[in-house]
Amino acid sequence: MKIEREIKVDHLARIEGKAGVIVEIGKDIKAKIKVTEGPRFFELITKGKKYDDAVAICPRICSFCSIPHKLTPIEAVENALGIETSEQTKLLRNILYFANMVESHALHLYLFAIPDYLGYPDAFSMAKEHLELVKNGLELKDFGVKVQSIIGSREIHPENAIVGGFGKIPSKNEMEKVKEMAKEVIKRAVATVDFFAEYEYPSYIDYERNHLLIKPYDGYGVYGNEIVASDGFSFNVSYYKENIKEEVVPYSFAKRGKYKDKPFMVGAISRLTNNHALLDGEAKELLNNYREFLNPSNCFANNFAQAIEMVYFIEKIAELAENYEGKDESKAKAEKKSGRGYAVTEAPRGLLIYEVEIENEIVKYMNVITPTAMFLPMMEVDVVNMAKGMWENGYKDIDLIGKKVEMVIRAYDPCISCSVHVIKI
Amino acid sequence: MKLKIGVHGLTSCYGCQLRMASVKNVLEIAKNFNIEYWYMMSSKGEIKHVDVAFVEGSVSTKEDEEELKLIRENADILVAMGSCAIYGGVQGMLYGMEYEKAFLEVYGNNTIELEGKIGEPISKYVKVDYKLPGCPPEEDELLYYLACFLLGSYPEEKDYPVCAECRRNGYPCLLIEKNEPCLGALTTAGCKARCIKFGIPCIGCRGPLEEIAWYDSLANVFKEKGMEKEIIKARMEIFGKQYENMDEMVEKVFK
Repeated sequence: MKIEREIKVDHLARIEGKAGVIVEIGKDIKAKIKVTEGPRFFELITKGKKYDDAVAICPRICSFCSIPHKLTPIEAVENALGIETSEQTKLLRNILYFANMVESHALHLYLFAIPDYLGYPDAFSMAKEHLELVKNGLELKDFGVKVQSIIGSREIHPENAIVGGFGKIPSKNEMEKVKEMAKEVIKRAVATVDFFAEYEYPSYIDYERNHLLIKPYDGYGVYGNEIVASDGFSFNVSYYKENIKEEVVPYSFAKRGKYKDKPFMVGAISRLTNNHALLDGEAKELLNNYREFLNPSNCFANNFAQAIEMVYFIEKIAELAENYEGKDESKAKAEKKSGRGYAVTEAPRGLLIYEVEIENEIVKYMNVITPTAMFLPMMEVDVVNMAKGMWENGYKDIDLIGKKVEMVIRAYDPCISCSVHVIKI
Repeated sequence: MKLKIGVHGLTSCYGCQLRMASVKNVLEIAKNFNIEYWYMMSSKGEIKHVDVAFVEGSVSTKEDEEELKLIRENADILVAMGSCAIYGGVQGMLYGMEYEKAFLEVYGNNTIELEGKIGEPISKYVKVDYKLPGCPPEEDELLYYLACFLLGSYPEEKDYPVCAECRRNGYPCLLIEKNEPCLGALTTAGCKARCIKFGIPCIGCRGPLEEIAWYDSLANVFKEKGMEKEIIKARMEIFGKQYENMDEMVEKVFK
């Protein structure tokens, strides 16, 4: 193909990790998301480790979702070794996970995405004129950080969450504080929804897609073991390899997922599209008010969905914290020393799958499949449609098209460090 | 004139930058420094002269190496931020393995145009002026380093291990009293023994403390407690694989 014009960004700003994009405009329009972040071989470095050491390595895949990268491998190990955790452990893990969701969404929306909407290079310069807006983001982020520190010991690489339970459980008093903080901060999440409900999406990037997500055990939760597709098909996580195929492309260290040979979507937009009936409280009311913003075919709806989710998860944190008893209990014990286990959870960016094989307490095999690796091919489709839509609508300014292409990429909230940890073939 | 800083990420989890972005008064940092480059946070800026450059991540690709050299050429002071930059990080644990072998195991017989390598510390490629340890660094230490540069002074690195902070805080010793494989004795202090406070043995995430990290003597204690060599080594190499003579020190104990 003869290339007439080319959009090339070597290093995309305001995303987690290092990636670039190339859009070639000729008779056709083609796009490549180049992941240049180096390989880190997590499946190799966890091999030969005791299982509790291995699960301590996993969060280092990605700091933005280090809680999911701790709690999901823990779940896989517990599944492998027949460990039944207590109700209290499950409750604390839910709060921990929800707090990560709030922090991650707040960071993404306020520090990475919103500067695009208001035309600033970053949140720092945006703060000079929109201090209250930036404060929303920082307060929401601080809330997530505080809750994660109380339960997980710290927000990045939380060592207190371990196989079987926790090293030390928080006091009832601390959880009372969590509840108070949640009630205080929720208005800032509601304001976030209001912000995103002001913007229309460019309709030329509408593209019908399959959404993949879990069927939650409770409510609009993050734990489950059944993966559901919006085409009606569903499968147990242990069949993930048969249903989600991965491919290697020459221009990227990240592997990429296909479902039924096609790109697919995961993340907040997928969860909300399929599971909106499971919402309750203020989140449900807000969604009812702004229903038209949940367009399952438009990736910009992901930002809106993240905002709705923040409201839901903050409300749930308050509710769960209220039910916390603070019973002194020791961690759950393993029934056996060997086995194979699977786990899937809903990380902020979508499905996160872990498979682990343990022999005599030593990890023999570990496989991780991350949401960003899953949605990269879908992102390329949306990037092409954005460039094409603008080009065909008469926009010939390459810089402007480039900016909109970057907005599409940011709407996905890609986590590049996650995507390159890579799966074993 | 405000001090000019740059914040850079090589191959890593971006946690050191996230910690910097999520300190409570991040807007104060933006007010007091000219942030010339911080790609995770801003779409403005290119690598140009700064007073202080903070570098997170290990060198894991040819591009990382070239970028790092460019950062060094343009920085008066270069700070290695976090365990990946200082010791290669968890991905540095494959040190000694051929890259081609690791690639084959993970990517199979596919070709990728990009040139990767096993993660290495940045000091293998450029001069490092200061080390800011942690996985990720602690908020107070990060602010201390920034404040020192702001005042025209220089940060002092901690020269004592996590054990010292743990003793000072009066936590029960997990190694002696509970027979847990705690690495606090080898590990650079600064976390105030947070994990031990939570009853979790230190995994060594802040990296070995130079000249004090006697892997042999701690491996000997572990051995006396009945732990096997392979288990001890596997735990010690998570954050210490590229520490000088770490392997030899452990091997010696089991000869």
